[in-house]
Amino acid sequence: MTPFEIAMPTSLREATGLLDPEDPTIRVMSGGTALMLMMKTDVFHPTRLISLRKIEETASQMGLLPDGRFRIGGMCTLAQMEHNDDLAAFAPVIRQTMRMLANVRVRNVATIGGALSHGDPHMDLPPVLVALDAIAVTEGPEGSREIPVAELHAGYYETVLNGDELIREVIIPAQDARRMTYLKCTTRAVKDWPALGVALTGVFEGDTLEDPRLVIGSVAETPIRVDEAETVIKGRSLTDKVIREAGEAASANVETIPDELGSAAYKSQLVRVYVERALRAVANQTV
Amino acid sequence: MTDMNKQTINFTLNGKPVSAEIEIHWTLVDLLQRGFDLYGARQSCGQGLCGCCTVVFNDKPVSGCLTLAALVDGGTISTIENGEEELDPVQEAFIEAGAFQCGFCTPGFVLMTRELIAQNPDPSEEDIRVFLTGNLCRCGTYPQIIEAVKTAAARMRTTAHVPV
Ligand SMILES: Cc1cc2nc3c(=O)[nH]c(=O)nc-3n(C[C@H](O)[C@H](O)[C@H](O)COP(=O)(O)OP(=O)(O)OC[C@H]3O[C@@H](n4cnc5c(N)ncnc54)[C@H](O)[C@@H]3O)c2cc1C
Ligand code: FES
Ligand code: FES
Repeated sequence: MTPFEIAMPTSLREATGLLDPEDPTIRVMSGGTALMLMMKTDVFHPTRLISLRKIEETASQMGLLPDGRFRIGGMCTLAQMEHNDDLAAFAPVIRQTMRMLANVRVRNVATIGGALSHGDPHMDLPPVLVALDAIAVTEGPEGSREIPVAELHAGYYETVLNGDELIREVIIPAQDARRMTYLKCTTRAVKDWPALGVALTGVFEGDTLEDPRLVIGSVAETPIRVDEAETVIKGRSLTDKVIREAGEAASANVETIPDELGSAAYKSQLVRVYVERALRAVANQTV
Repeated sequence: MTDMNKQTINFTLNGKPVSAEIEIHWTLVDLLQRGFDLYGARQSCGQGLCGCCTVVFNDKPVSGCLTLAALVDGGTISTIENGEEELDPVQEAFIEAGAFQCGFCTPGFVLMTRELIAQNPDPSEEDIRVFLTGNLCRCGTYPQIIEAVKTAAARMRTTAHVPV
C-alpha cells in the first residue's frame, strides 16, 4: 500500500482548489463507500484523498425552496433523504427507492453527490433523478454549472464533470400531481445492486398519461430514457393493450449489455416485464 | 523525520477520550483491533455487505471495514464492548432465543437491533427483515434472530414506560 495524504477542507471551494484535473490519483471522498471498495480491490491507488466531511453545513442540508423546487445538498446522505418527511411528501419515490438501496449502514454514510458522480451504471438513484427531471449544480474553479442529471453520465464509470468540478447540490423541480414509481430487479440477494431499474413518472389527466418520463437503469452504460415507449403511452389511457405495446417498444429499443447480473437477452426480457409493471403501478396509484 | 504513512488521531472511544497512532490506510476495524485490542467488530466480507464490522460512529451504525481510521479523528466511536458488565435487553434476548451459533455475526446484529428499536420501538417482522438485510449470519440463525429482536423490542416498550 503506497502512502497517501488526507486533506480536510472546510469549504467546497477549498476542496475544488485541492483537485488537479490532470491527476486522477487525487479524488474527493464523501461517504467513501464506493472509493473504499475501489481501493480495497486495487482499482484505485490514491495519492491524496480530499474528505468532504468538514465542509460547510449547507452541503448536508435539504429543503423546499421558495419557488417550489426542492434542494438537496451534495453531502446529504441517502439516510437523510430516506427519513426527510418533506422530501417524502414532495417526491415519494425517493423514500421508496431508499428502502431497496444497499443497507442501513451504507445509506448512513453514502451521499447523493457520491451516488451521482461514481458513474457505476448499476445504481438506483440516477434513473430516479432523471425521471424527476433533477438538475445537478456543480462548483469548480470556473464557477458553477447546472447539469441536468439526464446529461450527467457519459459512459461506464464516466461523467461529464471536469476533474476539478464537484456536485454542490441537486435541485428537483416541483412535481405537482405527478405520479411516480421505481421498480428494481435484483438477481442475487434482495438488496443487491440492481440488475435492472425502471423509474417512471407522469401526470394523469383523467385516465390518460401525459408527459411521461420512463428511464431504465443498469442495463447499459448510463441510464436510458426510452422515447419510443413514451410515445406509445403519451396521451393514451393505460389499457392492457397499451401497456403491453409499451413494454414491447421498450424492450425492442433499449440496447442491453450483458454483465455478471444477467445476459443481454435476459435483461431485454426484464425491461419488457418491468416496464409493464411500472405502468400498472402508476395506473393504480391513488393520489 | 515524520513517517508519511503514520498519523496520530484523537477521538472518544466508548465514552473515554483516547488517542492512537495509526497507519494511513487502516480501516476502523484495524484501528479497534490493532490500537485497542477490541475484537467485537471484525471484518468478514470487507465490502459493506455482512455487518460483522458494525461500529457506531457519531451515533450512527457504519461498516467499520469501509471507514478510514484517519476520518475518525475528532469523532465518537461506540462498539459492542461499550457499557456495563451487565447485558442489555437486546443481548439477553439473543441469548434466550439462541440467536447465534458461532457468534461471529452477533455484535453486528446486536448493534443494528439497538438502532432499529431506537428508530422503531414496535417493528413488524417485515421491518426487521428490511432493517437487517445488511447483516448476514453464516450459521443461518435468522429465525431465532427475528424472535430475539421482537422479544427485545417488546421488553423495551414495557420498561420504557416505567419512570426511573
Ligand atoms: C455494500 C454496498 C451495497 C450497495 N448497494 C447499492 C444498491 O443496491 N444500489 C445502489 O444504487 N448503490 C449501491 N451501492 C453503491 C452506493 O450507492 C455508492 O457507493 C454510494 O452512493 C457512493 O456515495 P459515497 O458518498 O459513499 O461516494 P464516495 O465513495 O465518497 O465517492 C464516489 C465517487 O464520487 C466522487 N464524489 C463523491 N462526492 C462527490 C461530489 N460531491 N462531487 C463530485 N464527485 C464526488 C468521488 O471522488 C468518487 O469518485 C452499494 C454500496 C455498497 C458498499
Ligand atoms: S466486513 Fe464490513 S460489512 Fe462485512
Ligand atoms: S452465529 Fe455464526 S455467523 Fe451468525
